[in-house]
Amino acid sequence: MRNIDRRSLVKGSLAAILAGATGSRAALAQPAEPILLGVSGPLTGPNAQYGAQWKQGFDLALDEIHAAGGINGRKLAYNFEDSQSDPRQSVAIAQKFVSDPRIVLELGDFSSPASMAASPIYQRAGLVQFGFTNSHPDFTKGGDFMWSTSVSQADEQPLLALYAVRHLGLKKLAVLNQNTDWGRTSRDYFVNAAKGYGAEVVVTEGYIADDRDFRSTLVRVRDANPDGLILISYYSDGALIARQARQVGLKQVICAASSVYSPKFLELGGEAVEDVHLGTRYFPEDPRPEVQKFVGGFKTKYGGQQPDSFNAYSYDAMNMAAAVLRIGGTDRRAIRDAFAKIHDVSTVIFGPATFDVESRRIKGAMNAELVVRKGQFALWDGKPT
Amino acid sequence: MSSWLDYTINGLIVGNLYALVAVGLALIFGVSRLINFAQGSIYLVGAYVGWVAVVQLRTPLPVTIVLVAAFAGMVGLIVERFGLRPLQDSARIAPLLATIGISFVLDQIVMLIFSPNPRALPSQLPDVRFQVGGGTIGPLDLLIAAVGVTSALLLFLFLRYNKLGWAVRATAQDRDAAMQMGVDVNRVNQAVFGIAAALGGVSGLLVGMYYNQIDTAMSLQATLKGVVAEVIGGAGNVPGAVAGGLLLGLVESYGVALFGTSYRNLFAFLLLISVLVLRPNGLFASARQAPPEPLTGTFIAPSRPVRLPLWALLTALGIFTLLPLFPVSAYVLQTLINAWLFGMLALSLTLVAGTVGQVSLGHAALLAIGAYTSALLSLSLSFPVGIAIICGGLMSAALGTLLISPSFRLRGHYVSIATLAIGEIVSLVILNWESVTHGPIGISGIPPLSLFGYELVGAASVYWFTFAIVVLLALLQVRLLGSHIGRSLRAIRDDDVAARAYGLSLNRYKALAFIFGGFAAGISGGIAAHLYSYINHETFNTQQSILALTIVILGGLGNVAGAIVGSVALVGLPEIFRIAAEYRILIYGIVLLLLVRFRPQGLLGTI
Repeated sequence: MRNIDRRSLVKGSLAAILAGATGSRAALAQPAEPILLGVSGPLTGPNAQYGAQWKQGFDLALDEIHAAGGINGRKLAYNFEDSQSDPRQSVAIAQKFVSDPRIVLELGDFSSPASMAASPIYQRAGLVQFGFTNSHPDFTKGGDFMWSTSVSQADEQPLLALYAVRHLGLKKLAVLNQNTDWGRTSRDYFVNAAKGYGAEVVVTEGYIADDRDFRSTLVRVRDANPDGLILISYYSDGALIARQARQVGLKQVICAASSVYSPKFLELGGEAVEDVHLGTRYFPEDPRPEVQKFVGGFKTKYGGQQPDSFNAYSYDAMNMAAAVLRIGGTDRRAIRDAFAKIHDVSTVIFGPATFDVESRRIKGAMNAELVVRKGQFALWDGKPT
Repeated sequence: MSSWLDYTINGLIVGNLYALVAVGLALIFGVSRLINFAQGSIYLVGAYVGWVAVVQLRTPLPVTIVLVAAFAGMVGLIVERFGLRPLQDSARIAPLLATIGISFVLDQIVMLIFSPNPRALPSQLPDVRFQVGGGTIGPLDLLIAAVGVTSALLLFLFLRYNKLGWAVRATAQDRDAAMQMGVDVNRVNQAVFGIAAALGGVSGLLVGMYYNQIDTAMSLQATLKGVVAEVIGGAGNVPGAVAGGLLLGLVESYGVALFGTSYRNLFAFLLLISVLVLRPNGLFASARQAPPEPLTGTFIAPSRPVRLPLWALLTALGIFTLLPLFPVSAYVLQTLINAWLFGMLALSLTLVAGTVGQVSLGHAALLAIGAYTSALLSLSLSFPVGIAIICGGLMSAALGTLLISPSFRLRGHYVSIATLAIGEIVSLVILNWESVTHGPIGISGIPPLSLFGYELVGAASVYWFTFAIVVLLALLQVRLLGSHIGRSLRAIRDDDVAARAYGLSLNRYKALAFIFGGFAAGISGGIAAHLYSYINHETFNTQQSILALTIVILGGLGNVAGAIVGSVALVGLPEIFRIAAEYRILIYGIVLLLLVRFRPQGLLGTI
């Protein structure tokens, strides 16, 4: 990122000098319309919270991009269309975006059914669909215009298994997962990796994402007699499970996937999430400069609020889009090709990030092993709980 | 063995929460014979008012409860006065639809004020835990149980021994007679809505505290579980609702115990179906009790349908056929493709709901069956797409009719609830039958639409394809309705006793309607699968069933042209309101309410 930044800065200033030299005629002929991105995502409906978090991350990234001179001197803007994460609406939005010549790149959608239903339209029209929360293994198989910065679960889950089995020394695991495409894929990768490390998975339970009562599930878990609980959950259901696990008297170690990483997890879980272990892609005390810049900028912009994973995903996605546009310009096909060219873009989730051209994903997400101590996320100090 | 004690206790704890919602629903149903789909939204309002009180104002618990009850009660009064009272002379279906509209509006207002992020709602009770079996229960569990049982008891006493309570019961039994005896029916309704809403608000508060979590998605879940609990206990039966809630909780808990978590809701809905089929008046109804539902004919308003002149129909046909030749954007075409797909679903629903009077709330299941059949046939057995879609339609017709057949003996609201349950069951079977449906991973890489070897990929060609099918299905349906079968179907709707007396076999005619309707819906699902290329169990959800019903009622029940006009309107409106971003569903809800208010028989009228 730093390299690209400097390069674009040079380019930007060169352009500015040129523009200054040729006078304002060029500026008049082509008013500095912002470069427009299309975003398809939920602003209403059951997933509306994630759309709201996306916006926060996007806006922060845009502020920084504009402060650094925009995209080769032009501003960047996005057009957020509400799909409610409903495939019926996301395909209509896709048609809207592909037939709007101002849109040079599309971001989203949130859920797999909504995103992948729209993929054929983007692919045929030759507009990049840049899905940054789409972990479904088949998402990027939709065509060479589908790119994703979503952390592949094939990458993430072995790290969680390593933490749980090798570092925490858990031998008999109970796995609870959201019964969605994400949760199910994650569970399969996790179980394989955990077995590889020599642990035994004594019970797996898939639950529907909007379930709120887990007490009976936890009795099943108790009867299987595990020494650790693995939660493949988002923060709201993860907090509910942790609370109810303590209520039904389960005292085992809880280890959760990085998707629970959110200040909301602490708020909703209260005392029950104390000592919960989790892997994460970044955390506020992470000394990496890009993390410090992100966390600091976020707190300043949003009145002290701590960012969470979804904020980070959207922040990275917007920065990634900016990096791509700096190379690819505004031609849709050139933009697709630029995804393969960008190199070591600085991101919160991956550190320096480069796409794997074959899978059109990024490998090697950052990993830190955290634990909740005194109501805060802290780096795990290696002590058992 | 001790585990069974734990499962029982857990079942009762969660059943407790269901009971609380069910009591409010039962009360309203008891008086106005209305399933109040807005009850979950009032529960949501209660939870958020509670959050403001607890977190911002720091009120002690008794004050919080009073505050929440008062505020929610007020909302209930407003809903009754402005949302439902103007509809009391229109058909039963109008207030039902109005409650759906009101729930959209309330949910959206809460979401806009408080943002959709979940919030913690800390319990204000001391954190003591009592050991029971292997687990523990807290004071909040006891408080919730106490509120549920006490409110049911108080309501029971009120209905039995208080003068206003008598009036409520009299109104429930016979509204007109009650009015003749000098009962102020409006006041009764108002009282009931106020009480039910206050109770709903307090339930939202307590459940929010119980989970230490409130969010805007809790409303629909609460309504669904509450309705199930209420019907199990016997619609309109207040103590029955408590028992129904507890029973539902127990069945879910034992279901989890025996088969695992992912089967949980399956048992809840299977319980519902068996109760409906075996004891449609609920578990606690006495055998002598008169059926609480009026004959279906009065459920749907008779009206004079608008007859569209032939030239208008032909002009519309011409315009829509030639549309892609004009410079319209692919986005407009795609929106219309969606409208045609929903049009097929609406044709199906308007036949079973409008013409036969079986108001289905689970129609998305037919889409799902058609979509999965077509997707799997074309992927695993390499069927040509055209044939696969037709097979999807046939499968949907066969399986849909088979699944619905046990509920042919039901009437009115009960059909809606049974179909709602069947819809959920189909979705859960898709989720759990992994060897065939790939469970939550879904099916990807479904081949695109093609016809005789030519791929239909452009928006225009898909548009023509779907438009041709919807027109074809519509013409078939018009032909069907004009024949003796159509007359028989309407006779069954208007008076099934008389129809039977004339020698019509009700079940066969209902099955016929479901076969035809299932085919149309299955085709729509099949096309959608090939259009989307990826489907999973969430692609065809309850919201789509509700939208389909809204379309049909808007267009005019049983009205073929109305179904298509309704689809274009309701698929198009949210797109037109896109400019309003976060506000668009709110606007949509308000428009829906206005339509119900001023044109309850639908745009083109029922046939």
